[in-house]
Amino acid sequence: MTENCIEFVNVSKSYKDLLALDEVSFKIQKGDIFGYIGPNGAGKTTTLKILVGLIQDFKGDVIVFGKKITAKRKDLYNLIGYHPQDAGFQEWRTIDHAYKTYGLLSGLRSDHLENRIQEVLDLIGLSDKRFKKIIHLSGGMFQKLRLGQALLHNPEILVLDEPLSGLDPASRYQFKKVIKSLAEEGVTVLFSSHILNDVQDIADNIGILNEGRIMQIGTPEELRDSFQVKNIIEIIVAKNSDLCKNLEQFENIENVENIEDNKQLVYLKPDVDVDLIIPQILKRLDEQKCKIRSFSLVKPSLEDVYLNYVGGDMK
Amino acid sequence: MSLRLLFFDELKGYAKSKVMIVLWIGLPLLALLIQFINPGEYEGMPVSFLVSLVVSSIGGTLSAIMLSTSIVSEKNRHVYELFLIRPVRRSSLILAKYLAVYLCLVIAVSISLSVGLIIDSIRGDLVENFLKVTIESLIIGISSMSITCSIGIFFGVLVSSVPVAAILSVYLGSQLSSLILLPTFFIEALNPVIFAPSLGILLTSTILSINIILFNRHQF
Repeated sequence: MTENCIEFVNVSKSYKDLLALDEVSFKIQKGDIFGYIGPNGAGKTTTLKILVGLIQDFKGDVIVFGKKITAKRKDLYNLIGYHPQDAGFQEWRTIDHAYKTYGLLSGLRSDHLENRIQEVLDLIGLSDKRFKKIIHLSGGMFQKLRLGQALLHNPEILVLDEPLSGLDPASRYQFKKVIKSLAEEGVTVLFSSHILNDVQDIADNIGILNEGRIMQIGTPEELRDSFQVKNIIEIIVAKNSDLCKNLEQFENIENVENIEDNKQLVYLKPDVDVDLIIPQILKRLDEQKCKIRSFSLVKPSLEDVYLNYVGGDMK
Repeated sequence: MSLRLLFFDELKGYAKSKVMIVLWIGLPLLALLIQFINPGEYEGMPVSFLVSLVVSSIGGTLSAIMLSTSIVSEKNRHVYELFLIRPVRRSSLILAKYLAVYLCLVIAVSISLSVGLIIDSIRGDLVENFLKVTIESLIIGISSMSITCSIGIFFGVLVSSVPVAAILSVYLGSQLSSLILLPTFFIEALNPVIFAPSLGILLTSTILSINIILFNRHQF
């Protein structure tokens, strides 16, 4: 049986009159990458801050490796590495100085720290900046620096708040690779993001949060499957060739939309058996001598699922 | 452990800061200037006495501004989150800052006072009780600076705007710290050398305790 690493049980948190989290419950298994998505103000950062101990007054239970977390959470600090969304550094420090302080505060031995800092800097690609003052770093480098400090003490749980925002495509790729490789080594990752493609790329499970409530949880595939949208067939024909006509006559087809001169979308009715309707459409295309270049079933994307649950309020 | 580490870290940071360079070099120079521009004005008064007055007043205010603005800025930039996700007490963050700046200030006073004493001895102005006067002013100055620094931290913890923190530190910090001298003007029996440090320790500990309570309640 797979071990539950993190468990939120009916966790609620209010800021004065504002209910930031409303009975949030979810489980993350050891070694999983859990993507936490939702619009601005949905409560993602509040959830993460509760887990890392920055917020201690909340209702409900948070269980880590079978133990309920309380205000006295000394042993938990070393288990968790946290990458805050926008935390700054004391900019008069060099990277080396900052990491040495964080490392020592996390309980690392000073003789071990030199090598560990080098390992982390190699991993995040900042080795050549080790003795540079933080004030001279760019925004992307700051983001890497935040990830690095979270990894310093080899945590078993990595909590990342919007780790990929502000990064260039190459750094995003590098970050995702690092996160995946850590998960393969058994590190459990909980990360929030609003970049859905990135979530889709690396998350084993996804939780959608809106207005403080969990709307849906599942693997990317389960989320798409659970999302009852109409299946859509995209047909592309050769340029200067005619699109297929009279497809609306099929009773399982709800609508046909010609979106370009050589491209049309066929909207199937809900619950229709696609294995029955596809041969009929193909037959019709053949009868009309359409020069087909592409014929594909378009499944709902994660973005469709997301928009369905959060009401179109994308960050 | 964390307080010691944070204290030496902060000390390193503040010691290299521009404000501290002003305190360590600028204030002794200012004391020299006062003497050389208009020496007649202060006849009979040791330069070392003047120096301790100048440093405790200007130095205390500058330190309060530096403390309050750096805390506000670090709060706003979420710097403390990276410390508080580790086994670090919030009080250690506050105390480390206080102790580092206060120590820098004491060093600045020592440098300035040494300069003053050298000038006094060169001028031959070593009045009979100069040592007593100088030590008295030094003790009062150090007590007053201790309060000013804790008030600087108070504004840093309390407000969220850097300019507001700076203005409050300038106008209220040094004014409130001078309160420790007031009773000695009205009650002759009070010895300022005993009274000022006693009240200084009491007020500083009280204000620092309030600062820690407020900082503990702050939502990061």
